[in-house]
Amino acid sequence: MRRYELMIILDPNLEERTVAPSLDQFLGVVRNAGGAVEKVDVWGKRRLSYEIAKKSEGIYAVVDLSAEPSTVKELDRQLNLSEAILRTKVLRPEAH
Amino acid sequence: MAKPMMRKPKKKVCLFCQEKISYVDYKDTALLRKFISDRGKIRARRVTGNCTQHQRDVATAIKNAREMALLPYTSTAR
Repeated sequence: MRRYELMIILDPNLEERTVAPSLDQFLGVVRNAGGAVEKVDVWGKRRLSYEIAKKSEGIYAVVDLSAEPSTVKELDRQLNLSEAILRTKVLRPEAH
Repeated sequence: MAKPMMRKPKKKVCLFCQEKISYVDYKDTALLRKFISDRGKIRARRVTGNCTQHQRDVATAIKNAREMALLPYTSTAR
């Protein structure tokens, strides 16, 4: 098990209330595989420094979790398949 | 006769060594903005005064922040 930090940029046109539940749905993959979601922090809407997919805003969310590497890889794959997600970044904060 | 005054540059001390910050967080854009120019370029070590290791950490953090659109790659404004 390793600790990961996952940052997600979501489509700004989503309802802000629906963000947390839909993220939870994605994070189900981690829970089913025996991982643990430690913290979900939804920053809310924020201006992007440059346009991504013709959008100048995005909803940011940061998730702390611990899971097996393969689980996180699968989670990242599923996130990137979704239309509502503009960008993701997986980081291991303790790795350095 | 008038010898050019030799400027004695004041030795800068690395901010991160001083504050004993071990991990440079890419989400802390307020801090990272101190290390980029107004065009969005990463400031050189001789400007920032960071030590080798921390300059490297800062540069990586800025690049991560750029990927997530927290910091600009370029900004032509101003």
